[in-house]
Amino acid sequence: MGRILGIDLGTTQSLIATMNDGAPGVIKDPDTGRGLLPSVVAIAPDGEVEVGARAIELEPHLTVEKDGRVSAIGFAGGEFGAVIRSVKRYMGLGGDEVAPEDRVRYTFADLSGPVMRFRVGSRVFTPPQISAEILRALKARAERALGEKVERVVITVPAYFNDGQRQATKDAGRLAGLEVVRLVNEPTAASLAYGLGKMAEGIVAVYDFGGGTFDISILSIKEGIFEVLATNGDTHLGGDDIDRAVADWLLAELPESVKTDRHVWNSARIVAEDAKQRLSDIAETEVVIELPGHTIRKSLSRAALEKFAEPLITRTIKRSEMALSDAKLKPAAIDAVVLVGGSTRMPYVRDQVRALFGRPPLCSIDPEEVVALGAAVQAGVLMGTQGDLLLLDVVPLSLGIETMGGVMERLIHRNTTIPTSIAENFTTAVDNQTHVDIHVLQGERELAKDCRSLARFKLGPIEPQPAGLPRIEVTFLIDANGILSVTARDERTGREHSIDVKPSYGLTDDEIERMLEEAIDLGDQDLEQRLLITARNDAEQILGALHKQLGEWASLLEGGERERIEEGVERLERARNEADRELIATLVEELNELTTPFAERIMDRAIKDALEKKSVDDLS
Amino acid sequence: MIECPSCGRRQTPRLSCEQCNAPLGAELDCFAALGLPQKLTIDLLALERLYHALGYRVHPDRFAAANAKARDASLRATALLTRSYRTLKDPVARGLYWLERKGQKLAENNKQVPPDLAELVFDVQEQLAELTVDRSDELEATVTARRAEVEHALSDAQQNLAHNFASWDGGRGDEQRLVADLKNILSRIAYLRTLLRDVERALENTNAA
Repeated sequence: MGRILGIDLGTTQSLIATMNDGAPGVIKDPDTGRGLLPSVVAIAPDGEVEVGARAIELEPHLTVEKDGRVSAIGFAGGEFGAVIRSVKRYMGLGGDEVAPEDRVRYTFADLSGPVMRFRVGSRVFTPPQISAEILRALKARAERALGEKVERVVITVPAYFNDGQRQATKDAGRLAGLEVVRLVNEPTAASLAYGLGKMAEGIVAVYDFGGGTFDISILSIKEGIFEVLATNGDTHLGGDDIDRAVADWLLAELPESVKTDRHVWNSARIVAEDAKQRLSDIAETEVVIELPGHTIRKSLSRAALEKFAEPLITRTIKRSEMALSDAKLKPAAIDAVVLVGGSTRMPYVRDQVRALFGRPPLCSIDPEEVVALGAAVQAGVLMGTQGDLLLLDVVPLSLGIETMGGVMERLIHRNTTIPTSIAENFTTAVDNQTHVDIHVLQGERELAKDCRSLARFKLGPIEPQPAGLPRIEVTFLIDANGILSVTARDERTGREHSIDVKPSYGLTDDEIERMLEEAIDLGDQDLEQRLLITARNDAEQILGALHKQLGEWASLLEGGERERIEEGVERLERARNEADRELIATLVEELNELTTPFAERIMDRAIKDALEKKSVDDLS
Repeated sequence: MIECPSCGRRQTPRLSCEQCNAPLGAELDCFAALGLPQKLTIDLLALERLYHALGYRVHPDRFAAANAKARDASLRATALLTRSYRTLKDPVARGLYWLERKGQKLAENNKQVPPDLAELVFDVQEQLAELTVDRSDELEATVTARRAEVEHALSDAQQNLAHNFASWDGGRGDEQRLVADLKNILSRIAYLRTLLRDVERALENTNAA
């Protein structure tokens, strides 16, 4: 079996890693030597895509015009497209699920469908398509660094990702031409990186506070088995939210209309993030943001930053306590605490975690690399090269069905070890009923309307029988990726029942197929475009040269030659404005052949002239 | 008889193949899944070791490169294994599972508080209600003492459960009586667990306030 790589597809940064001689290592960009790829994707109106640092360069930034107007400069040459950051916050969401604070950042196609979509010029993109660009960039990097094809990967996801968010991540892999062999929860992956032969057996808490998500996982490590006891988290709580609070404060004195301008806001957010990072090392910093005719200059101390962070960190501590309670453990029972994610670089975060668990947290492995390294270890397990390790993860959210009165009946409780399955019997409520509708839900609330709808299933057709007589056994299976599948069987006949699945959110298989086809079409179109430009350039070159030569060396032309050449020039001039690159290439070729004797004569004459000049020079 | 999806050997249903150890994907009861005899008395440490060893053997991570049939068998075997372990690990879940296999349910009997517990449950609930308004140290000390009482009753019930299990295993006693006993003990434990949780919550809230 070929190599499997590990990918950390992060909110703000992404990495790809692999096992080398039994140790995981991050694959660095062969050109820049950088391991972290900013999870930023720039899309031009014509569909051209840039990822990472190059995308950041294309990010619209504010400039002040001479007349005092503010304008945003983005893609050169006029109307710019979109530069999308933190696409992970939108993964697997229906339009109506996009958080209010995430609604102002970009232009959306419509926010009513089962999948939210970004609008860029006249085109629309789903979050998996944007994420696929990040995955493609990582794939290309690894292929260049390793000199081999990369086709199979492990991708990490926040432990608290629901079924839809996991499915969207798998879809992104598929769109990037990758087989996603396994989704692994980020905190669990981190524990693997730490546990690889180093960590003694015991109970470990992984506190994972990244750019956009927070996870806490409590694991028991014993006999090489990493068993998650409980997990909790918030998929919309991260360092991004601290930046947002600081940006709000920065712009506080500005009128609402300016504050909500997308470019003003984005600039403030970037400046805020920068200040936050500086304050991990120094106690006070100056924050400057240039606006039309107005410069905001404020001083931010570490203490003030901590005030902004406090309510958010308090939420992470609450979540951690809930995980401990689910694991039926007191903080004192934890043998080691591991820090993961860039946001744990904040001293304040470290202090709070230490206060909760009563022990200094471990951060000996770079918190920004540890998840990718763990993903590589899990890839090793799947390749069969890490036979002494096994991961037993859990489902983060309860799974159930809607019953009479809109109540959520739990079938699989949160923190159940996966893979897991449960069989449930269904029957009909009225005579001769031919279909049974099942509404599958995920969440911890009592009422169906407060849980997240996963899918609706239609069981049947069922043979007409008196009510209550049919017995259909439905099996809900959650695989090792935390993704649900459903099968149904008629208890009497033993026959498999067909199930008509309507996912409530996310992309259907057909939609993904279509996106894949579109990507291939676009790929061809891009190539065609490049070839056309090349052909036109060739035409320009020969036309320019001939124009000059026909003027300078007219005396070298033979009878009728000028007419023949001018006819060829005219045909090529007409063709170069058309999009038929093959015609352009043919005419260039023909003109080349036709003018070869003329060109040779010119060459001869030029050499002779040069020699004559030389001899004249010698004489003088 | 069932055929191994990896090596093709035909055998009686079990978790993993007797010849090549690959998962079979057979449907088994919780005891059979872990290769245990149909006995209610279980050594928890040995159970965990068994669970880990079988997990290594059948988990989907070990079959990432196998054919679709073997992968599917691995998925089903692991789902069965984790479910069986979870059921057998907790004596209460184990007892409920046993009742279920005997065609019995706890639900109908469980609506009424076991008579000999009624007084304790009633008293404690009353004191907890008082505690939400009166946060005197004196009352808190009373509730703390009550917690010890509940814990003690719970531990007694758990011992009774172990005795009941031993009776089943030894084939001692009339099955009908054992079922009734088991129901009684399990319902007591359910009540005491809820009560203990309520007491702990109330005490935590008092401490936090």
